Amino acid sequence: MAAMFSQNPLMNGPNYSFNQGPSTASAGNKEHSFYPYTDNGGSTLAISGSDFTIIAGDTRSTSGYNINTRYSPKVFKIGGTTASQDDATLVLSVVGFAADGEALKERLDAIVKMYRYQHGKPMSVKACAQRLSTILYGKRFFPYYVTAILGGLDEEGKGAVYSYDPVGSYEREQCRAAGAAASLIMPFLDNQVNYKNQYIPDSGVGHELKERERIPLGRNEVEDLVKDAFDSAVERHIEVGDGLQMLIITKNGIEEIYKPLKKD
Amino acid sequence: MPGFDFSNHTRNAALHARGVPLPKATSTGTTIVGCIFEGGVVIAADTRATSGPIVADKNCEKLHYIAPQIWCAGAGTAADTEFTTALISSQLELHALSTGRKPRVVTCMTMLKQHLFRYQGHIGAYLVVAGVDPTGVGLFTVHAHGSTDKLPYVTMGSGSLAAMSVFETQWKSQMTEQEAIDLASNAIQAGIFNDLGSGSNVDVAIITKDKTTLKRGYVKPNERSKKQKSYVFKRGTTAVLNEKVITKQEISKYVTVHELEGGEPALAEKMDIDV
Amino acid sequence: MEFGTSGMLNEDGIHVDMDRLKKGEVNLGTSIMAITFKDGVILGADSRTTTGAYIANRVTDKLTQVHDTIWCCRSGSAADTQAVADIVQYQLAMYGTMNGKPPTTQTAAAMFQELCYENKDRLSAGLIIAGWDERHGGQVYSIPAGGSLHKQAYSIGGSGSTYIYGYCDANWKEGMEESQAVDFVKGALQEAIKWDGSSGGVIRMVVLTKKGANRHLYLPDSDYKIRHQ
Repeated sequence: MAAMFSQNPLMNGPNYSFNQGPSTASAGNKEHSFYPYTDNGGSTLAISGSDFTIIAGDTRSTSGYNINTRYSPKVFKIGGTTASQDDATLVLSVVGFAADGEALKERLDAIVKMYRYQHGKPMSVKACAQRLSTILYGKRFFPYYVTAILGGLDEEGKGAVYSYDPVGSYEREQCRAAGAAASLIMPFLDNQVNYKNQYIPDSGVGHELKERERIPLGRNEVEDLVKDAFDSAVERHIEVGDGLQMLIITKNGIEEIYKPLKKD
Repeated sequence: MPGFDFSNHTRNAALHARGVPLPKATSTGTTIVGCIFEGGVVIAADTRATSGPIVADKNCEKLHYIAPQIWCAGAGTAADTEFTTALISSQLELHALSTGRKPRVVTCMTMLKQHLFRYQGHIGAYLVVAGVDPTGVGLFTVHAHGSTDKLPYVTMGSGSLAAMSVFETQWKSQMTEQEAIDLASNAIQAGIFNDLGSGSNVDVAIITKDKTTLKRGYVKPNERSKKQKSYVFKRGTTAVLNEKVITKQEISKYVTVHELEGGEPALAEKMDIDV
Repeated sequence: MEFGTSGMLNEDGIHVDMDRLKKGEVNLGTSIMAITFKDGVILGADSRTTTGAYIANRVTDKLTQVHDTIWCCRSGSAADTQAVADIVQYQLAMYGTMNGKPPTTQTAAAMFQELCYENKDRLSAGLIIAGWDERHGGQVYSIPAGGSLHKQAYSIGGSGSTYIYGYCDANWKEGMEESQAVDFVKGALQEAIKWDGSSGGVIRMVVLTKKGANRHLYLPDSDYKIRHQ
């Protein structure tokens, strides 16, 4: 995954928006220019299971120390035939600059809808993933300022998660956290989903110690992990909170769960 | 020599010129308020400390002791509010001892403003000073650059606008003690919920002629919900690559070792731990 | 967030955002004035203190007493002008007790000038000193940003004053009666408050005569018509 994923406020990259735009405390003349991006905070998270995918995001939208709204969804159903998107099979989450996220969602939705109209079948998640990459790279020199995650079920019916950087580099993954609290959530996921740094007690000495074996997680277990991940992120990141929206994609359709989060 | 030590300045300037990132001070987002009532004054604060967008402390204390009947609420750079109030508290105690009189709120405010003015805003302390002295009730704000204001109700910090909107709509003259406490608490809660720099609980200090009452966690509107899962690891989950035993005799060469009695674990501060 | 090499490094080695501190500075974007009249002087000011767009204090007292019948109007940085006024207040108190008689307005103005001129690179302060003394009666001195000193019949200052040069020029009369003088100051400040966004709130006045200091307060609620103090 490319360089723009770094969400550490102390590290490189434009990510933190307490003073909008690039602030250079130059001694000389002050340059005034239009800065087209804003960071609206928030976090998203996606985990794929054997026959389902869960994509979640908090519903807070911020700018600086202010809350724009306590309910602004970051996860969207894509490519349904009606306005309600009841028959959609894909889910897109976008975090970063909300206006770009909205624009990207609208554009992908229109493309997937056209595909369905022209081919008489829903787009596969694999095809949609490639198309989304093309859309993002199309704006290589004026990027959509978002980290996107696409979720669905693959041709075998298994859960699929594709994660992106703002200019279209993408890969299929087991799980991915994005946005403001990505650096808080991702290590938790590594440990609890892929059992990283967990060993089987007394299974050997030193480097002979055996790693804990990965087992496919059930839907309820993943739901619990997502809730705990967001509850914890809310505790330690000021831009995450208010509400948690979860979309669960199964072969029977897409189910939506909303859970209130802390509002401070 | 008293005061600050600038001996690292040249080195740090050189490092900075080569692009070494600078350490970040804990600050800034805070809501603090103060409000006078018939016979006393109340000050209140939220309990969130931040470092950038990360919550550094969920339950920190922003109400500082100056004298028994003078307290201070601090916003801005955490270290600056802490040390400035401690310094003035010390000087005021000595002043009270040498004059044989109770310290006054104006004295405290004047010492703070002169100290902060000397440092031209580089000491980032934004304070609400409140207290009761033989001349009556006092309530002031002191800005980092050294300016002061005297008002019947005040707010400071990033949540000051949210808090002030509560005061400007609900404040009235001649409030009772409980009315003032409730108003101050509501003002802080406006900051907690509408300002991202403020959060967690409400601390309140009530100062009257006779006594000072500090109510830590007067309102706790943001308790953490129960976790869905347990995250206890089986003993031995973490890989041990090598082991070294240090005996009590060895370690006592470097530090003083005390035996604990009755098998009670010694805890400096209680933490929430998964069991 | 990148720490650019052009940022400010403070003496303590901790990075402090200078933009923010500058922003945090409390300013008296102000309308102030002082005039002489038949029996003495009148000082007048609005009551708005701002930090950026936020009104930090809407009932500020910008008329500061430095001796019994010597007062000053403050504009510019709140911290700087308070510090200067505190020092002069102390110096005048010493002067008064040492000499056994009150200082003249001219003496006070000279003290203010000394501080403002010698520290011109560090201060942002625009002051008007007005007082009444037995020898000269009512006098008004103006000390603008650089630290120069000007004796005037009347003086206006602060950001709001630009709007009332015409008003004052047209309506000023030498040797007015007290009530007439009060109306002149009030009328001028009303205009300044009306047109200047950085000025507002109540109108405060201090009348300095042989009889001492007398405070006036006018609220916007009653269109500045009724005297409340």
